[in-house]
Amino acid sequence: MSDLDRAIAQLRACRLIPEAQVRELCYKARELLIEEGNVVCVDAPVTICGDIHGQFHDLMELFRVGGDVPDTNYLFMGDFVDRGFYSLESFLLLLCLKVRYPDRITLIRGNHESRQITTVYGFYDECIRKYGSANVWRYCCEVFDYLALGALVLGASSDLESSGPSYNDTTQSTMSTEDGELETEVLNSKGEVLMKTYKQRPRSSLDNGSTSPPRTQSQTSMRTGAPGTGASGGGGSNNSSRTGAVLCVHGGLSPLIDTVDKIRLIDRKQEVPHEGAMCDLLWSDPDEIDGWGLSPRGAGFLFGADIVKGFNYKNDLSLIARAHQLVMEGYKEMFDGGIVTVWSAPNYCYRCGNVAAILELGEDTSNGGTVTRSNGDYNRSNGILTGTVNKQTLRSPGRRYRVFEAAAQDTRGMPAKKPVADYFL
Amino acid sequence: MSAPQIPNLNTLRRGGGRGRFRGRGGHDGSASSSGHKDRVVQGTDNDASVSRLSAVGLGYLVDPFARALTPMGQETRRLPIINRGTYVRTTAIDQLVARFLGLTEDSDPSWKTKKKQIISLGAGSDTRAFRLLSLRPALDIVYHELDFAVNNTAKIKVIRGTPMLQRVLGRPEDVKITDAGDELHSPAYHIHAVDLRTLAQKVESNALDARDPGHRLHELVDSNLPTLLLSECCLIYLSPSDAAGVVRYFTHNLFPASETSETLGLILYEPIRPDDAFGRTMVANLATRGIQLQTLHQYASLGAQRQRFREHGFDGGQAAADVDFLWERWVAEEEKERVSGLEMLDEMEEWKLLAQHYCIAWGWREGSTRFNSWRELEQQPAEE
Repeated sequence: MSDLDRAIAQLRACRLIPEAQVRELCYKARELLIEEGNVVCVDAPVTICGDIHGQFHDLMELFRVGGDVPDTNYLFMGDFVDRGFYSLESFLLLLCLKVRYPDRITLIRGNHESRQITTVYGFYDECIRKYGSANVWRYCCEVFDYLALGALVLGASSDLESSGPSYNDTTQSTMSTEDGELETEVLNSKGEVLMKTYKQRPRSSLDNGSTSPPRTQSQTSMRTGAPGTGASGGGGSNNSSRTGAVLCVHGGLSPLIDTVDKIRLIDRKQEVPHEGAMCDLLWSDPDEIDGWGLSPRGAGFLFGADIVKGFNYKNDLSLIARAHQLVMEGYKEMFDGGIVTVWSAPNYCYRCGNVAAILELGEDTSNGGTVTRSNGDYNRSNGILTGTVNKQTLRSPGRRYRVFEAAAQDTRGMPAKKPVADYFL
Repeated sequence: MSAPQIPNLNTLRRGGGRGRFRGRGGHDGSASSSGHKDRVVQGTDNDASVSRLSAVGLGYLVDPFARALTPMGQETRRLPIINRGTYVRTTAIDQLVARFLGLTEDSDPSWKTKKKQIISLGAGSDTRAFRLLSLRPALDIVYHELDFAVNNTAKIKVIRGTPMLQRVLGRPEDVKITDAGDELHSPAYHIHAVDLRTLAQKVESNALDARDPGHRLHELVDSNLPTLLLSECCLIYLSPSDAAGVVRYFTHNLFPASETSETLGLILYEPIRPDDAFGRTMVANLATRGIQLQTLHQYASLGAQRQRFREHGFDGGQAAADVDFLWERWVAEEEKERVSGLEMLDEMEEWKLLAQHYCIAWGWREGSTRFNSWRELEQQPAEE
């Protein structure tokens, strides 16, 4: 067993590793991350995760629900630290896994991976408390500066194989597959299907609302076919089309960024600035507005459906996946499915009562597994040959959400020290 | 939904008490467990004063008395959402109080000049009395605070040792402190040692027992002044019948409505909405700290709070708004910008959740002097 495997085992048990080992780990991680571009290319299948915020036991629950590393290919969209009681254990474990299995786990930067924010929201204090000095905090912050700003998921499948009948659905096979093919599926932590949606043909342009599912109820109809067969009703209709890439970023878009290539030009190896493109990518939020708006957070911007549609079209994207905002149902699709918020910290801050979610994108095997790389290459587009014919056939990826609750109470440790003022009393 | 809890070990360690402050019956559980519960409730005051000092230290609030009235060595920087919540709660109540006292420019001259009285329930280490009393003589008020003897003893000890606080109370020879050190009486400021539950039972028995703690209240409270009752996270810890009984003690016993009675106002600040995911988690989390919000389900919504005021005869008006609404609508844009600039508040969604689970409710009973100043305040449209 190597030192690294030992460290992983120790951290999985929620026990910290010695300071010298943290230093070495951070050094290795930096060497690895420096080789990554600002926008990392990741091949599907991949499981996309949102904020973790030091909720270590819930991160363990996430791995239980989503599968372990390296069996499952993970992409974490930042905010590993702050707020929860176990930022160190959570972040160091993810970092160990990154160093051990660099191709099976991708970490991108969240707005909390910053010196300034961690001094306010708890990570700094936790480091002092658990290691007796700011050294470990400093090592971690140096790693933060090297984290990628975004990721591009390539080769995701538009087909979603059904996981089985809808949970609670008693009608069993009443609808035909005329509705279209399976587009999203929501599973609980036991793998039972809570909800399904189907691709509408033609897709209604009026349907511009956001979808956020009810917590438990099965809302949609069943398709025919035995459970688990993944009856493929709509399959053959649109074979020539392909799924666009999925851009993953912690916060959202920036008025200074109109192409993915422009993200690649940022000099990212620094503390998160207070303004500018890099700040916006980590701080912005989608909102029901037209164009751009001021963010109530004091950093980043709000951006509307038109911005997302324009950006996705221009960049051959079928979806933007982002984190950053607490959503009570764990995930929230907006703007006709053009953007989704994924939130992976259940019962956030041990207080909010929300469920968490992870998003699984399957692999497109229709071309024998070859991935269209066009979108991943720097300077791929010279602006002339991007045919609109091609664009119109872009299809959104099939999306499987696994929703889970906070880890059981008895596995959760006590807070290391002072209790927080959770409420106004 | 599982509700994971992080118990406050310090609170739990204090252990089963001796039931020193238990009420006179009407409570379930053994004497020791109710004594323990009381101590937990008394401890909530500490939480509030530490939060206030944090907000003052960061520039959210100006309060020269905050440091003196927070126990030494307890200073902690609270999270930005807690600071903002403390700010909204304090400034919104300040505004209601200022309007009641006629401190705003638009208030009626006849109302403005009238002497007034404030009675603060479960006041604990609150600084409001000192902030207002330091406005004398321009402001003519008497301020009464009611709390458990143990909380009073701590506060009075601090007052004794802090010249800045003493100066506010006026000439030292006018300030009388009981031998037990749990009551303070001066011309404009009184601290009464009262277990509020005894007031509720007094309503029932209608007794005027000389040994009853409420006795001095009867003597020292002036039933002929326009009076404002304040309960900041206080009545909610009582049983529904005790909470209603305490209010009834004031509306019926001390300030019975009549032709000549003066305006009686009531301001409540308490949690609401226990039945959504956040609310359920809040109830479970506080329960592990031994804190039970006993009337929370009874007055679960803004509508239920308004109805509560109606039932208690506050027929001049009843209004309520949650802290999220108060932040959005009561705080001026310029001030919002100033406050937002104090700290980076990243957790917008969490802020909204938290702020939607606390409300301020206010209502008044008309008196012989015309009182208008609460009418034009914007309240939250009824959602329920």
